[in-house]
Amino acid sequence: MSAWRLRVKLRSATGLLVSTRPTQRHTSPYGPLTLCRSLSTGSHLRNEFFKDLEAQLAAFRKKAADALPGSSWSPLQINPNLPPERADIVIVGGGVLGWSIAYWLKQKEMVRGGVRVLVVEKDPTYSQASTVLSAGGIRQQFSLLENIHLSLASADFMRNINEHLGVLNEDPVDLQFNQSGYLFLASEEVAHIMEENYSTQRYAGAKVSLLSPTQLKQKFPWLNTDGVVLASYGLENEGWFDPWTLLNAFRRKAISMGVIQCCGEVTDFKYTTDVLRTASGDTVDLKRIGSVKVQMPNSLEYQPVECAIVVNAAGAFSGKLTEMLGIGSGPKDSIAGIPLPVEPRKRYVYVVHCPDGPGLDSPFLIDYSGVYFRREGLGGNYIAGVSPEEAEEPDTSNLEVDYQFFEEKVWPCLAHRVPAFEKLKVTSAWAGFYDYNTFDQNGIIGIHPLINNMYLATGFSGHGLQHSPAVGRAVAELILDGNFKTIDLSNFSFRRILTQEPMLEINIV
Amino acid sequence: MLKIIIPTIMLIPLTWLSKNSMIWINTTTHSLVITLISLPLLNQFNDNSLNLSTMYFSDSLSTPLLMLTMWLLPLMIIASQFHLIKESPTRKKLYITMLISLQIFLVMTFTATELIMFYILFEATLVPTLIIITRWGGQTERLNAGLYFLFYTLVGSLPLLIALIHLQNSTGSLNMLLAQYWSEPLKTSWSDTILWLACMMAFMVKMPLYGLHLWLPKAHVEAPIAGSMVLAAILLKLGGYGMLRITTMLTPITSFMAYPFLMLSLWGMIMTSSICLRQTDLKSLIAYSSVSHMALVIVAVLIQTPWSFMGATALMIAHGLTSSMLFCLANSNYERTHSRTMILARGLQTMLPLMAAWWLLASLTNLALPPSINLIGELFVVMSTFSWSSISIILMGINIVITALYSLYMLIMTQRGKQTHHINNLPPSYTRENTLMTMHLLPLLLLSINPKIILGTLY
Repeated sequence: MSAWRLRVKLRSATGLLVSTRPTQRHTSPYGPLTLCRSLSTGSHLRNEFFKDLEAQLAAFRKKAADALPGSSWSPLQINPNLPPERADIVIVGGGVLGWSIAYWLKQKEMVRGGVRVLVVEKDPTYSQASTVLSAGGIRQQFSLLENIHLSLASADFMRNINEHLGVLNEDPVDLQFNQSGYLFLASEEVAHIMEENYSTQRYAGAKVSLLSPTQLKQKFPWLNTDGVVLASYGLENEGWFDPWTLLNAFRRKAISMGVIQCCGEVTDFKYTTDVLRTASGDTVDLKRIGSVKVQMPNSLEYQPVECAIVVNAAGAFSGKLTEMLGIGSGPKDSIAGIPLPVEPRKRYVYVVHCPDGPGLDSPFLIDYSGVYFRREGLGGNYIAGVSPEEAEEPDTSNLEVDYQFFEEKVWPCLAHRVPAFEKLKVTSAWAGFYDYNTFDQNGIIGIHPLINNMYLATGFSGHGLQHSPAVGRAVAELILDGNFKTIDLSNFSFRRILTQEPMLEINIV
Repeated sequence: MLKIIIPTIMLIPLTWLSKNSMIWINTTTHSLVITLISLPLLNQFNDNSLNLSTMYFSDSLSTPLLMLTMWLLPLMIIASQFHLIKESPTRKKLYITMLISLQIFLVMTFTATELIMFYILFEATLVPTLIIITRWGGQTERLNAGLYFLFYTLVGSLPLLIALIHLQNSTGSLNMLLAQYWSEPLKTSWSDTILWLACMMAFMVKMPLYGLHLWLPKAHVEAPIAGSMVLAAILLKLGGYGMLRITTMLTPITSFMAYPFLMLSLWGMIMTSSICLRQTDLKSLIAYSSVSHMALVIVAVLIQTPWSFMGATALMIAHGLTSSMLFCLANSNYERTHSRTMILARGLQTMLPLMAAWWLLASLTNLALPPSINLIGELFVVMSTFSWSSISIILMGINIVITALYSLYMLIMTQRGKQTHHINNLPPSYTRENTLMTMHLLPLLLLSINPKIILGTLY
């Protein structure tokens, strides 16, 4: 009878090791089927050669290499971290949107190895990336139909995340998706906007409900309904989740499907220019990117990557990327003079501890003054913040936190709205960048009119993370199918910036 | 034959001594003129050969291949102009020198009388091809591709050297014209069996036979355009030509020794055709289709009937022109979109309509549409194989259907449908590219009027 036992394949730096669990069900040569722990602590008595074959071969190789004369120097000092010389699609930016696009591209290719995708990320620690510094909320309470559809699709994706992003033999993905809902509070002046938005949201299929102040008081006794005329509460698919887990889930799945990852910075493009003339005699320069120059971190080494398509998912730094191609540096009244209107905006997030706070059923509350807070974990911690006024935008050269801002702008409103927050303690804080679209604070998705093969997927101004699965799918459809198939996002194309028709969210804040 | 070889050798000083602005013009026009010199060779006596000297001869089998080789050099030079733009003039001249030296070796190979000279030049063609693939190829995989290409062919042809030396010792001469009359029939002993294998394996690897074909997709895909063209059009035919020459000395055991290779080829052509349906890389698709077509040639040569030999020679010439044209078309795509993936450049018919016309014609000849010479070749092979064994018609029929499937798949994927957004502003087709396609297509279409030129010695 052959012995069978559970095998756990561990991936380690030295290669595949095959290890056996200590608790085994095996037939010992001396007796019937026994369920027992292996009692010997010495080496195997019988020749377990084939079971330890991997380890044996590695040891043999090492022994042979040690026996040979000479060092391990080889004349071909090839840096293994360089990206490949050629890729079909280069995604600049390894945030959640970049990896989402990479995953969906691989998901939609019809044959294995159909498209070669490279994701270039300049900071593998993600110290300044917007994804991981986000508050992690997802809501359907928008006023634009496209945004609502995107959120619904993304929420559906995240609820079934293991069907989409589960990798064989690896741990399942646990997003910690707290579906506690968003609660928007409206004052007298903005209540009608909230009602209009409510009907749009219900039409689109979002499960939102309107609450009067009395209902609000009943549901959330810790809330001070002073000045609140109407509230909109999301019943399903709204809440918050862990952005780092989502990023890593996308990344792990995409890499398992064959996406190549490179740590480096895109510093330059090699492009060919086609000069066309309009009927009135003006010249238009149409550029086509031929290759992307990827610079290795802390080094002068670079690798030009020849590519067919570049996807700009660089988030807060997308504006800088298009500047390299000359977008924004043309004459003022031409298309080339319009820069990509995406710039980084710093937002603070404060973690506070309040043991008498709202409790486990508190939603993601957003007051009409702009102040928001949500529960973080189960220990009485909350995350709070507010978007600063246009005039008081903080300096974006670093990610330092201004605690004065909390004292002046956040705490008063917070304490007014939730009396329990009068006694709180700020335990920590962080700052992150919004990839802020200065034009209309909504994403830009589609090809840039002047660069033939650069797709933009940036400028989401704070709701990029929650839309990332659906936007990734939309961009992959745009690239591989030629047009949007599931959600029509043609209203988010760059055209609206050329024609100066903003797609503004009619928010109450 | 020296009237062809010496001008071809003199193309090298022409390249190096040209002014930098005239490199391409000089080499293209002079190689075109040299092609004209080979035309008188077409005056062939069908049952005998033109013996021009003790070292060189030409007969109705080698003449079409020779003309194809010489016709291809100007086409290769035209096709290479774009991707060498950024190189220094010395590098450009070096590249052209590689092509010309390859041409010299190929001309001498196809006209060699002595089998040892054929062998030496057969091996010599590997060197410039290897240099072209590994130095000017596209990606890091080209090193691997060069390795596969070199070692598959070398290992396959070393036994051939030994066999030829043995034949020289036993028969006293390796002159191809004499060998067909002087060679003794091989017995069924081990030594003669191994002699048969040693003679044939080099050409099997070169063709390539289905089990030994791994080098071909790699080499074709990683080579630059001129490398792909010469590989697909000529170097594969070296194998076919060699097999056709050497089978005259290997009777009568071929009748049973050929069985494993026949089975491999019959099965292999369906396998490689089917793989074409799953390819995403355009050049890879054309490379696998080459394997499929060459498998037909192997079958034809191994069953050794008059019709099959005619079909083999016709198919070799037809496939040479078609495959080279398809690689040129794929390259014109690649130069514009920097990608060989088919799904990333679709709907090109609306962008580049004339190029779409060339795509259509190339795909139609690839799937052996009547009355092209591709059809004549395939039809002769299918008919003679049917007479050899009735069941093979099933396999051949499936192959023809699948060939049509993948040719149309390639055409529809790249040309038809809605175009992708990022190919909105492609440069239009250059005259150079259109000339290239016409020069491929014109012989192909004209030969369908008078195919007896390419039907070989048994017409």
